[in-house]
Amino acid sequence: MLNHIPDTIELVDYIDNGEQARHYQFRLLNFNKSNEENIKNSATKHNWQDAQPGQFFMLNVPSVGEAAFTFTQPPNEQGEFRALIRQMGKLTSALFILPKGEILGARGPFGRGWPLTKISNENIIIIAGGCGLAPLVNLIDKLIDNLTANQQLVLIYGAQSKPAQLLTRERERWQQEIKIYHTLDNLDEQYTLAKNESQGTPVDVLNTALANFTKPATTALLCGPEIMMHSAAKQLVKNGITSDNIFLAIERRMHCAVGLCGHCYMNEQYVCKNGPTFSWQELQKTITSQP
Amino acid sequence: MEIYQLDDLSLLQQHLQAQYQLYQVIKDDNEQYSWQQQAKESNEPLLTTLPQSSAKSFFFAEHENLLIFNGEYFQETLPTPKPFVLFGLLSCDLTAISYQDQFFKDDPYYQARRQQCLLVGLDCIQPCQQGFCSTVDAGPGVRENSADIILHPLENKQWLVITTNDKGAAALKGLTLSTSHWHLLTQRDLTLHQCEQDFADHSYITKAIDKLNSGKISDSFWQQLAVQCLGCSGCTTLCPTCSCYGTGSITVGSEQNKVIQQQRFWDSCLYEGFQREASFHNPSSDAGKRVQRFWQHKFGSEFFTEFNRHGCVGCGRCEQTCPGVIGVHSIMKRINDHA
Repeated sequence: MLNHIPDTIELVDYIDNGEQARHYQFRLLNFNKSNEENIKNSATKHNWQDAQPGQFFMLNVPSVGEAAFTFTQPPNEQGEFRALIRQMGKLTSALFILPKGEILGARGPFGRGWPLTKISNENIIIIAGGCGLAPLVNLIDKLIDNLTANQQLVLIYGAQSKPAQLLTRERERWQQEIKIYHTLDNLDEQYTLAKNESQGTPVDVLNTALANFTKPATTALLCGPEIMMHSAAKQLVKNGITSDNIFLAIERRMHCAVGLCGHCYMNEQYVCKNGPTFSWQELQKTITSQP
Repeated sequence: MEIYQLDDLSLLQQHLQAQYQLYQVIKDDNEQYSWQQQAKESNEPLLTTLPQSSAKSFFFAEHENLLIFNGEYFQETLPTPKPFVLFGLLSCDLTAISYQDQFFKDDPYYQARRQQCLLVGLDCIQPCQQGFCSTVDAGPGVRENSADIILHPLENKQWLVITTNDKGAAALKGLTLSTSHWHLLTQRDLTLHQCEQDFADHSYITKAIDKLNSGKISDSFWQQLAVQCLGCSGCTTLCPTCSCYGTGSITVGSEQNKVIQQQRFWDSCLYEGFQREASFHNPSSDAGKRVQRFWQHKFGSEFFTEFNRHGCVGCGRCEQTCPGVIGVHSIMKRINDHA
């Protein structure tokens, strides 16, 4: 039977990170406990150790309800995990006024994440827009850790404006290891672009980024606004990357995360179960035949 | 399978009432047909009229608690219904229950109710006004794998009682029944076959399903249809296979003894905000897309592959309830004629 019941978690800490966004740290309570009392009441009910990059969890803010968020760092041996959360609707607004130490709930991990095994030896271009960088954080960390001498990893990160950029610490860390292109939709008049920055969207610098690969990029990973992803995917295909090697992470409203509530399906594909990561090959079929 | 003959149906009703809470379709003072629990000894006559609401809420509750949070941890709140029998379910609604059994096979709340229920089906021997069950393989005769016991009306007010599985056989234990001749099964087949013949011509539905799956219906056609969708959720509420739901939390109890309940409730894919995200990104902001999505879910070949049947059981309730006249018959005729 499916388990709809969250595990209890503690809101451990957070840091502000970009406009109306925070990087939250949570901790699963009773993570490694297994005595009878804990089994009965609050021992973990979900397989947190299995979490993969690109998977998500349902955060339960008890007075409001549940919503889906991705891990920027999946649960470690102490049951601690992180998520980047932007204040958007009722649930996140309620979350943003909660103090550290508050008890919340979480279910997960859910869905199909990035195809880590398939891509681990490829030349990879990653294209992220806005909050779309969040589901890629854990993956980029893993890829950088295992990067070989012959392998290239490039990130294009687009944001609406300089203050809207997220995950500053992570990008600074990655900058030491990989090439990052930054794009900004809107610029202040006085703002002077840095060397790795340009005005526009990630799609605008895509050809340049691909041309600068020593050996051609073979795999692309995309997450951000759907219109941007579709346009980038088409351009990637034109540049010779096959549609089964282009992967997109899709966002949909979800209430259950287990394929029952009906909110997230695209044609017969449930984003919660079959996604949120789809290849462009799979998604094109769904997009062309779905309302 | 065992077959019996019964002269007096009330004997069966009384027998089942000794073990189960018995629900049956009753016509009320306002001429409405609905499922109601029967008091013992009431022995209401068995009606072959399709009730306004299907039996789906017996298993997939319109509104229910999923869990409570007491400030420290979360606890599941599974329903604990007493054993009950749905007496006289028509084949379309039984087919819908089979469909939802498959969809909710791993859902503990649905299954907690479903396990407590005995399904007694009733063959339709005359077509109903809006129904087209025979077109979508959902009737008029009760499918063997959809009910525990099947009732078939014979001449002279007699009944054929068919048990299809151990659960049905166990429910009849202790009731004195005369074993029936097998030739009555052949008579049942003939009667049901005649009933199928008596249905109006619904070939426009079959043709429209093909057209729907051809992928050639334009966005503008769906938009034209959607002008008539009021987003009232009448179709999704009454549809016996619709199962979309939303969730939310409410706080109950005093300030000192506060408990938070997380609930789920029926939702409708025809609501404008059904897929709207907190960011206001909405993949189905266009009403045409929502109407298309609904019908794709009922008749799309990809769902047929998953469930081995259409998501529509041909009950015709959407046609009866839709204030915009875009229920199944109207939609399928328009797809057939104009798409």
